Amino acid sequence: MLNIVVCIKQVPMVTELPWNEKTGTLRRDLAAGMMNPACKHAVEAALRIKADGGAKITVVTMGPPAAEEVLREALAMGADRGILVCDRLLAGSDTYATSFVLGRAIGREVPGCDLILCGAYTSDSETAQVGPQLAEELDLPAVAYAERLEISGRTLRVRRLVDKFRETLEMEFPALVTVSMEQYKPRYASFAGLNRAFAEADILSVNLKRLDITPAELAAHGSRTKVRRVFIRKTQKENVLITGAAANAAAEFLDKYQRKISAVIGKSIEAKKQT
Amino acid sequence: MTGKRKSIWVFGDYRNYYQNRVTLQLLSKAVDLSRLLDAEVCAVVVGHDLEEWIMEYTAHGADRILAVDHPSLTSYSTEHYLILMEKLVRERDPDILLIGATDFGREFAPRLAKRLHTGLSADCVGLDLTPDGLLVQIAPSFGGNMLAEIVTEKHRPQMATVRPGTFREIPHNNERTAVVERLPLPAQLPPARVRQIQYERAVQREHTIENANVIVCGGRGLGNKNNFRKLDDLAKLLGGDVGATRPVVYAGWAGHDVLIGQAGKHIKPKILFSFGISGAIQHTAGLGEADFIVAVNKNPQATMMRMADVAVVADAADWLNHLVKELRRRIRE
Amino acid sequence: MQFNPCMKHKLIRSQARAFAETELAPIAAEIDRQRIFPRDVIARMRGLNYFGLQVPKEYGGAALDSISAAIVVEELSRVCAAVGLCVTVHNGVAVYPLLQFAGKSQKEKYLPPLAAGEVIGAFSLTEANAGSDAGSVETTAVKRGAEYVLNGTKIFVTNGGVCDVALIFALTSSPENKLQSSVFIVESRFPGFLRGELEDLCGMRANPVSSLFLEDCRVPAENLLGKLGDGMKIGLATLDNGRIGVAAQALGIAQGAMEAAVKYAKERQQFKKPIASQQTIQNYIADMATEILAARLLLYRACELKDAGAPFGCEASMAKLYCSSVASRVTSLAVQIHGGYGYSKEYDVERYFRDAKVTEIYEGTSEIQRVVIARAILTTPIL
Repeated sequence: MLNIVVCIKQVPMVTELPWNEKTGTLRRDLAAGMMNPACKHAVEAALRIKADGGAKITVVTMGPPAAEEVLREALAMGADRGILVCDRLLAGSDTYATSFVLGRAIGREVPGCDLILCGAYTSDSETAQVGPQLAEELDLPAVAYAERLEISGRTLRVRRLVDKFRETLEMEFPALVTVSMEQYKPRYASFAGLNRAFAEADILSVNLKRLDITPAELAAHGSRTKVRRVFIRKTQKENVLITGAAANAAAEFLDKYQRKISAVIGKSIEAKKQT
Repeated sequence: MTGKRKSIWVFGDYRNYYQNRVTLQLLSKAVDLSRLLDAEVCAVVVGHDLEEWIMEYTAHGADRILAVDHPSLTSYSTEHYLILMEKLVRERDPDILLIGATDFGREFAPRLAKRLHTGLSADCVGLDLTPDGLLVQIAPSFGGNMLAEIVTEKHRPQMATVRPGTFREIPHNNERTAVVERLPLPAQLPPARVRQIQYERAVQREHTIENANVIVCGGRGLGNKNNFRKLDDLAKLLGGDVGATRPVVYAGWAGHDVLIGQAGKHIKPKILFSFGISGAIQHTAGLGEADFIVAVNKNPQATMMRMADVAVVADAADWLNHLVKELRRRIRE
Repeated sequence: MQFNPCMKHKLIRSQARAFAETELAPIAAEIDRQRIFPRDVIARMRGLNYFGLQVPKEYGGAALDSISAAIVVEELSRVCAAVGLCVTVHNGVAVYPLLQFAGKSQKEKYLPPLAAGEVIGAFSLTEANAGSDAGSVETTAVKRGAEYVLNGTKIFVTNGGVCDVALIFALTSSPENKLQSSVFIVESRFPGFLRGELEDLCGMRANPVSSLFLEDCRVPAENLLGKLGDGMKIGLATLDNGRIGVAAQALGIAQGAMEAAVKYAKERQQFKKPIASQQTIQNYIADMATEILAARLLLYRACELKDAGAPFGCEASMAKLYCSSVASRVTSLAVQIHGGYGYSKEYDVERYFRDAKVTEIYEGTSEIQRVVIARAILTTPIL
């Protein structure tokens, strides 16, 4: 039976950015957490593999204690086991440090792992770097932005669309794949699944000590980048308001912007001058 | 410190060159930075039949070109490119390495940075220098609504992937010259673990919405599916694509493939028409790069109306009809 | 008593909310306007246990606690009260009495398809002359051999237009020839079971509320729920539970209306500033938020008592009384904050406003809730 790890991340659910203008920081504490959408697609991909040929799915997340919630959600969807990598010293880790710690956690706690799936990118920091860097950490063959996975024996076939090229790639297990959001629309967790994810859940919480990562080792493999400042993008828009009866307003709009539109679409929409 | 001159490297990503000139854009920025840092601009290009690119990169600002040309490098292979780039970087120790944030760049750069034990920022939309000459990498998050200034203080090279279109390329100059170093392939390139089974240029249609110049996007404010379908007429007239918000996709008015936003496509049209869209962040997160936005909504206070260049206060479906009619008339003339 | 939601309740809420916002929000206004029961969405809800919220696992349910079940109804109603109504009636007053009073073979026959949502349930007490006065039911059930023959007319049956199983209250004779009420499990395919036209109601218009006609409807004797004459007992117990469901529904409507009003108040500019900066609007919002939180705590308190096996009828009535009156006030204020737009069908608050009213009426009017509460208070000895 395949031994699959899915790395998932809890991201803030933002409908409005809870931005503190005075301090220039994001009030992450105000936003509820949710499973990163692409990670959810990765969980779904693992569940389809499990349904097709059987697999044991371990979901792994690194984050604060509250990140346990996304593990429970993945268990409710059908994953078998959850690992929470949680340690105060990990706060603020960049992708370099994160991939180091995740690599150690998977190596220690999921020996014999055949396939690691990650979401292609997260909706908060959007780096898309942890997956490839985890592959580097564990020296695995890897493919990013996978749309479809097919398994035959120990061979994994991946289809993807990158830079306008449609590719089919193959590699042998163990391997790592980051999953795009094109396919594998995630299922909703059923309420029975949610109940089970709390009643019978197999969740392991590991800290740096358990992973035998000393502060010195963490420093050596720690973040390479530093965030100097975070700010909200301000757009300077003219924000012209057009009102009035639709028929006249449409013509008025086109009169005003016909040059601009013509230039972009490459054909003239300029009104003929009435003579 | 040796007396060696600092070097700014740009990775030569030439796939889709005619649509995506990010390498040339990065060369231009590297030239700017090189003046401030008194550094050399070096383009690194790996592949086969590279003369065209060597000439392009020379004409667009490179002082030096490192070229590894071999038939076995004909198609992009993350693994082989990693081996070659790691070797070159270790031998020559560049100060900065810039890579276009193409799909390939964003798959390749993280592994390279990890292998070189250095930092990397993703999909930057700006580059700058601190007074001490550190590279400030301006990276977006939350769908481009927030920006972070990132530096790699101690490790080298300072690496960033940069979003195509961020910088303007220097005009082609045939007069320029560069030192071209043609480097041999290391003898022991192992077979790649990821095997390419099929590789073909995707049918054009599949990607247009991300690169479309004009997008007409509709939301629930259009009222019903019939009204939504009229966007097709407008798109046809303007040579653009139709996009949709999440509620519209889930109501079945449009397919998931045209969903714009956090969970869908990120677009960067020159003109975006937005009909009956209030502007929830799940949608606006995908609009970070729209140049010129025309929003139509009954509610002038809707977020979408406030972020628009032109905000038309009207019933979206009604105005759409009139716009299509008026455009038809003008184009017929 | 826990005042902070536990992780499980947070996840239940986020799953139900994601479903409601994704699947129901795009159609809620349309199905209200056209009076459409959204069968395809209902079909998607089946495998997710929406129709077996508190049914034990052995019958294919989710075995949720009562707070979780209330949260699910809240979240559906926050977006689309008519579907929230379908779910809460099915779970709260059709499935629940079977769980409480059905025999083993009845449970084995009816619970699995009900929990799977393959069969939709209804509860049918109300008649033209029997509303708050549940004792005046006129439908009769006469035993004939191995069957009961039912005759009568039920009105305002929630889910009536689509139900496959209805619990029908009817008068039966005791061995001493005394009239008493009993409850029958009646399948829609039984001969003599007829549905009336859908009611044209003020709110909850996507729910197929209808009359049911029983014309010599033949029901196997084994479909008697509980014992002969258990009607009043079953009815009261069921209504206690149903009130928790209606309270959850009212709370969800109030929550949805408040969120819409807050969003609008921040967006809508008058006198060159958002109306949210006006103190009057702020007062409205403060009142809405305070009442909604109080209502939620009261509701969860009733749920907690129910799960602890303690009497919860008085608290269920309190929760129903308060949540429904909060829903009416909050939706009215939400319309007020929206001004003229709020009175238009273009904004959701108009629908919330219409949907909220009935929560003060069905499952026992507010007047009846006060009777229940006062009776409980007055008959409890002062210690």
